[in-house]
Amino acid sequence: MRKRGLGFYAGIYRKILIQDLKSKMSYRADFIISTIGMIMTNLAGFVTFMILFHNFPTINGWDYHHMLFLYGFSLVALTPVQCFFDNNWNLRFQVYSGDFIKYCFRPINVFFYFISEVFDVKGLGQLAFGIGTIVYAWIKIGIPLTPLVIAKLIVFLLTASLFMIALMNFAAATCFWLKGSGYVMVIMFRFKDFAKYPASIFQGIFSVIFTFIIPIAFIAYYPSLVILTPDNVPLLSWISPLFGILFFYLSYKFWMLGVRKYDFTGS
Amino acid sequence: MNLKRLLSLTRVGIMSSLQFRLGTFVTLFANLIYLVLVYYLWKAIYASSGTDVVNGMTFSDTMIYLILATALFNFLENFVVWDMSRSIQSGKIALDLLKPMRFRKYTFWSYTGNHVVQFVLTFIPTFIIVMIVTKGAINLGLNLLWFIIATVLALVINYNIEMMVAPICLFTESTWGINIVKETIVLLLSGASIPLAFFPEKARMIVQYLPFRAVYDIPLSMLLGKSGSDTWQGLVSLFGLQLIWLAVLTIAGNIFWNCAVKKVTVNGG
Repeated sequence: MRKRGLGFYAGIYRKILIQDLKSKMSYRADFIISTIGMIMTNLAGFVTFMILFHNFPTINGWDYHHMLFLYGFSLVALTPVQCFFDNNWNLRFQVYSGDFIKYCFRPINVFFYFISEVFDVKGLGQLAFGIGTIVYAWIKIGIPLTPLVIAKLIVFLLTASLFMIALMNFAAATCFWLKGSGYVMVIMFRFKDFAKYPASIFQGIFSVIFTFIIPIAFIAYYPSLVILTPDNVPLLSWISPLFGILFFYLSYKFWMLGVRKYDFTGS
Repeated sequence: MNLKRLLSLTRVGIMSSLQFRLGTFVTLFANLIYLVLVYYLWKAIYASSGTDVVNGMTFSDTMIYLILATALFNFLENFVVWDMSRSIQSGKIALDLLKPMRFRKYTFWSYTGNHVVQFVLTFIPTFIIVMIVTKGAINLGLNLLWFIIATVLALVINYNIEMMVAPICLFTESTWGINIVKETIVLLLSGASIPLAFFPEKARMIVQYLPFRAVYDIPLSMLLGKSGSDTWQGLVSLFGLQLIWLAVLTIAGNIFWNCAVKKVTVNGG
């Protein structure tokens, strides 16, 4: 089979997306409530944040507005995983019930087909919330607005989002080996709550673990430093795009390894 | 005889939870990592604040509170909302409704097994780790007894909150949305994500009387001897709050469920 180009996959994605949105529209109440739920979680996160700053004016040398920027950055960076990769949450059910086999019989990439099946609209609420927070913090800190900075922001937001996607891929793929692996996903998803704090709070061995093994530090902290402290950007921030791509690639390989293993066991 | 029947449901629950032993160990391990995150965050926070005691909570108080809140969260977590919506979709709920036992009672006792397993495999190890790490900062006395009683009450209250929320899915067909709203409210207002002592004065006045506090904050306050639980008067008022909410939620939940169950439509099963 010859290799298919990006255009081919983009066309398929568009078709699947339209079907998915159509089926979502038939559950309008669900859509509205889910959107409210999403807004509520973001509000609750925000309230927790406010309560924290009500008691403690700075955290590890970071003042309110810089923390707010980091918070908004993490929200935007977490949007792609919510919007495009939400079907990972269904993976384990499909694997146990045996329905997963249907993805293996299509002449397209299994990972692509599986992931493209669901587009989560409610993630857009989080995006709006995140952008609003970034804009507010941006103005308050007084970062100069130039095309270069905007370009950097977009590149590093995309970089940051790769890490969470990769983490969730890893977590979801564990279901090929473990029974009841829903916990792994739930816990990974909870780890993301710590992305909004400066990673400089970690010390010793854990700073290594949370940078390179469970890369929470890359979900917001390192990429955002490129914007926040342009005069003093650590090397890790600059190489984070490369590292993100590598991490995503590894998670993809791990996921596909699981698929191959699934083929052998059958259902 | 009746109790024996109920306990057999517990036994079944224990057996089916033990099917996922590996999952439990993964949870325990991941929890430890999570606790490391909590530790570093609050260490940094207290280091930047310049004082040792904030709102009557020292660093070790806050840590114990949050660590045990996480452990309690794992212990109390149940999937009533999810399970109910799935059993409505598959039609299994029809069979459960036909069982010669009240549905609410049946569901509660089927979850107890899972709670027992979680208590032994996640809560107790976490508790022991906390004891070792903080070198016995938790006072082991009568407060332990109060904590256990309050936790059992919290379990029932939590179940009742779930059972208030789950039937809403019958009307809305939205499980994820309803569940996330519930979880967000419970975790924020119960003090599981940030101790209630840190809330601004006015917010705390309101949150203090809500049922969510009875789930996490009251048991943990009793363990730590906070919120006046070191006096008899304080104990009585805390237990009183739990019992009042327990009664209110049980009655309201019963009424709500009896109305909702008439709406159940099952396709197949």
